[in-house]
Amino acid sequence: MTDQPVTASNTRVRQVEAIVNGTVIDHIPGAMTLKVANLIATANDQVSIGMNLRSERLGRKGVVKISGRELDERTLSRLALIAPSATVSIIRDYQVVQKFAVPMPTMFEDIARCANPNCVTNHEKWSSRLAVISLDPLRVRCVYCERGFETAELVLV
Amino acid sequence: MHFAGRHVISIADFSRAEILRILEVAQGIEAGQRRELLAGRLMATLFFEPSTRTRLSFEAAMLKLGGEVIGFSDAGSTSTKKGESLADTIRMVEHYADVIVMRHPRDGAARLAGEISKVPVINGGDGGNQHPSQTFLDLYTIAKLFPELIDGRRELTIAFAGDLRYGRTVHSLLTALCHFRVRLLTVAPRGLEMPDQYLHHAREAGIAVTEVGHLQDAIAQSDVLYMTRLQEERFPDALEFDHIKASYRITAAMLAGAPSQLRILHPLPRVNEIAIDVDRTPHAHYFAQAGNGIPVRQALLGLVLGAL
Repeated sequence: MTDQPVTASNTRVRQVEAIVNGTVIDHIPGAMTLKVANLIATANDQVSIGMNLRSERLGRKGVVKISGRELDERTLSRLALIAPSATVSIIRDYQVVQKFAVPMPTMFEDIARCANPNCVTNHEKWSSRLAVISLDPLRVRCVYCERGFETAELVLV
Repeated sequence: MHFAGRHVISIADFSRAEILRILEVAQGIEAGQRRELLAGRLMATLFFEPSTRTRLSFEAAMLKLGGEVIGFSDAGSTSTKKGESLADTIRMVEHYADVIVMRHPRDGAARLAGEISKVPVINGGDGGNQHPSQTFLDLYTIAKLFPELIDGRRELTIAFAGDLRYGRTVHSLLTALCHFRVRLLTVAPRGLEMPDQYLHHAREAGIAVTEVGHLQDAIAQSDVLYMTRLQEERFPDALEFDHIKASYRITAAMLAGAPSQLRILHPLPRVNEIAIDVDRTPHAHYFAQAGNGIPVRQALLGLVLGAL
């Protein structure tokens, strides 16, 4: 597992408790960890969080583990918007049965509000549609008002 | 190329070939009489925000082609005031009219209307976002003055001056000019410069963009000087506004040494940025530009209604 740093005694120690079944979201940029946990967890979920773990790719990263549940498509879209670098592992009986990068949609539909306060979607009962215009950094453009935004400017629906 | 039933929402939705087709149709309409082309067709003008030129010229365009017009020009007199959504207004009006021309204060309202409406929606201005019929008439005006815009025999120099940050007409026009052989000069007060996303797009399209310090520099080098209005509400300091206003004002005296071909355009209304004495110079072309709104809007109506 990527959240197992090498200790002084060169023994790999798991920093965040293993789960029997569920989903592990790894490689979350440090600052987004709690936001990701907040995004995917419901009040009844058993969630384990690792913050500021060492990562070769990100420097500091976060890990969120959620027991007994796999993520639906909408949650994956929301995850793609706030943590596009994250990876998702599906765990069954302590084994990683599937691991994938968060799939990046070409369009975020009703995932976040348009950040333009004068955009019609913020005044009519109408779903927002934000098209992906660049990946690194992730930028989107509102289909309606045509303004471009960095994802940090957006508020999830 | 398919125009019948199509919405006209944003200039970015149109290819070079489609833009040229619209200009060509406008030219044909201006040259000949097409009195009964839209007989029996009805246009609804939904102006949730006031407008003089856009509404009147769309109405004139429709009437001159034999069509008829219904509509409103004050949202206060409609069910919107009672809380009716834009979506519901469109769902109703699409049963009344063959084409909808709409101006709305919210950015993106025209795109939303287009997603609902079964009849073509022409955007007459959505907040600070788009105003495509203005851009088509600007291009038509430039192409009539300078056929090189279309045939590309000479690179035209086009200067934009004034509020380039918030002025939607210059954003749309720059987007459209990316299809043509031009170079761009910009003159804007600090803080009201052209936003990076448009400059980036222009440079990607191979257009050289140069920021010049003074209007006089733009006058000396340009084929077209496109002026825009400075809006006082953009300036926190009234004194600063007065100072800047004075430096973004063209007078006849400033045009004494201008190249003979220079033409000054303005989407209107002009306030102080073009002195009245400029009107009498051969460089003034803004009223003729407004007049070009008729054939261009006739072309748009005829094309989206499938009559051309």
